[in-house]
Amino acid sequence: MIKVSKLNISFGDNIILDDIDFEVPNGSTVVVLGRSGIGKSVLLKCLVKLIQPDSGFIEIDGKAVLNLKTRELNELRKEIGFLFQSAALYDSMSVEENLAFPLKKHTELSESEMRERIIEMLDMVGLKEALKKMPSELSGGMKKRIGLARSLILFPKIMLYDEPTTGLDPVTSKEITRLILEMQDRFKMTSIVVTHDMICAMSVADQILVLESGKFIFNGSTDDLVKSKNMFLQNFLSTKLEDNPKDASERR
Amino acid sequence: MKQNFLDKIINKLTSQVFEFFEIIGGVTTFSVKFFASVFRPPYEITEVRKHMDELGVKTLALVSVTGLIIGLVLGMQSQPVMARFGAEMFLPGMIALSVVRELGPVITALIFAGRVGSGIGAELGSMRVTEQIDAMEVSAIDPFKYLVVTRVLACTLMLPLLTVYVDFIAILGGYISVIITQNLTFALYADLVIRTLKFSDILPGITKTFAFGFIVGIVGSYLGYYAKKGTEGVGKASTTAVVISSLLILLVDVIMVRITLFLFPE
Repeated sequence: MIKVSKLNISFGDNIILDDIDFEVPNGSTVVVLGRSGIGKSVLLKCLVKLIQPDSGFIEIDGKAVLNLKTRELNELRKEIGFLFQSAALYDSMSVEENLAFPLKKHTELSESEMRERIIEMLDMVGLKEALKKMPSELSGGMKKRIGLARSLILFPKIMLYDEPTTGLDPVTSKEITRLILEMQDRFKMTSIVVTHDMICAMSVADQILVLESGKFIFNGSTDDLVKSKNMFLQNFLSTKLEDNPKDASERR
Repeated sequence: MKQNFLDKIINKLTSQVFEFFEIIGGVTTFSVKFFASVFRPPYEITEVRKHMDELGVKTLALVSVTGLIIGLVLGMQSQPVMARFGAEMFLPGMIALSVVRELGPVITALIFAGRVGSGIGAELGSMRVTEQIDAMEVSAIDPFKYLVVTRVLACTLMLPLLTVYVDFIAILGGYISVIITQNLTFALYADLVIRTLKFSDILPGITKTFAFGFIVGIVGSYLGYYAKKGTEGVGKASTTAVVISSLLILLVDVIMVRITLFLFPE
């Protein structure tokens, strides 16, 4: 269970999150939608204390994240998987070393057990053949899939996805969305997906939050979002579903 | 017009001075954090050894050539002067003293700053802007310990080794310059060098390289670790690392020389 209340963060005069509250029940997937640069990634980073908010309360599995000492925070972080927008693979390590890194640091697995786990995870994301490759040899979609495999390798209870499909072609985006769904189904994790990809959002969400000007202007199911009469939401939805800006302007 | 130009120069200088002191403040805090972490496990010895290998390989060829040239040039420049005073027999000792006490440590450190300091700044800077450091942190791995402490330790331990090597090569270079003008055997040259050098010449020269190595490591790491603004920030971290560490090496050298003269007055 993730509980956030009265969370505030600003960079200088720019208010990013303004007194926001939300909850994510165990095993469910919440999607945070919003325009680029609105603060969705900042919200995600606050949850794991990569960014320290100005004020507020964050509780994950009964632990008040912002009050945890470094050791306690690290224990909690082992339970959380984080897929970064850029995948953030360690570029001086091969794919195998990237996946082995958290295992070496946090488990007592033998070399052969580690290798077995790595192969299993790579197989799950369909990239067994990339084992010995370096990140620079991978495409954007492959990096995301390896990033996903790495973030799942410790079997986390909670998964945070930061723009999992951004910068990918529609086919690869669909593939990543399918993988997210498959992982949710298999590991029954509590997840937060930050995105502005409507197809991904509609496919994976149990609940949708829409962030605008530091506040959640919508909190509900996908059906509620589609039915909403709110002009901003309708505009946001229609803009996102219009693939071609040229067609959109002609239609207007 | 002229006034505007002057204002611009003054503003630029003022902001650079502020930036310099801001970096020095940051590096000091970073150093305190380093000493607080370095004695706490995990010790990441494999990683320190890996970095030492890399730093050694990266700089060996460059410092070898530089060492040889220092010795050669020093010998060639000093020989006519020594000859004027009829003191040519002191040339080997003079080369050895200059190299071991000052030239070897300082020039090796400056080359090390240019080659390694910029590399660390760029490497960590690029890891910062591509969220690799965040990824490490969120995986419950202390990036400061894994990335910074290991690199600073590797620099601190590797620079003295490189300096001993450069000193040796430079003294050999000195021998080449001596045999061009004098009929001196290597055994006699080595004997003159060994007789001249004392413990109080070698120890301070090597000791200060630990400090220089630390400076290169900590400044490069600090600037890379806190790099901002994408690739521009990475470039800035890399170049600023060289400038600041070179300046600090020279400043610390002055202090170390004073301390050496105080401890070993002879």
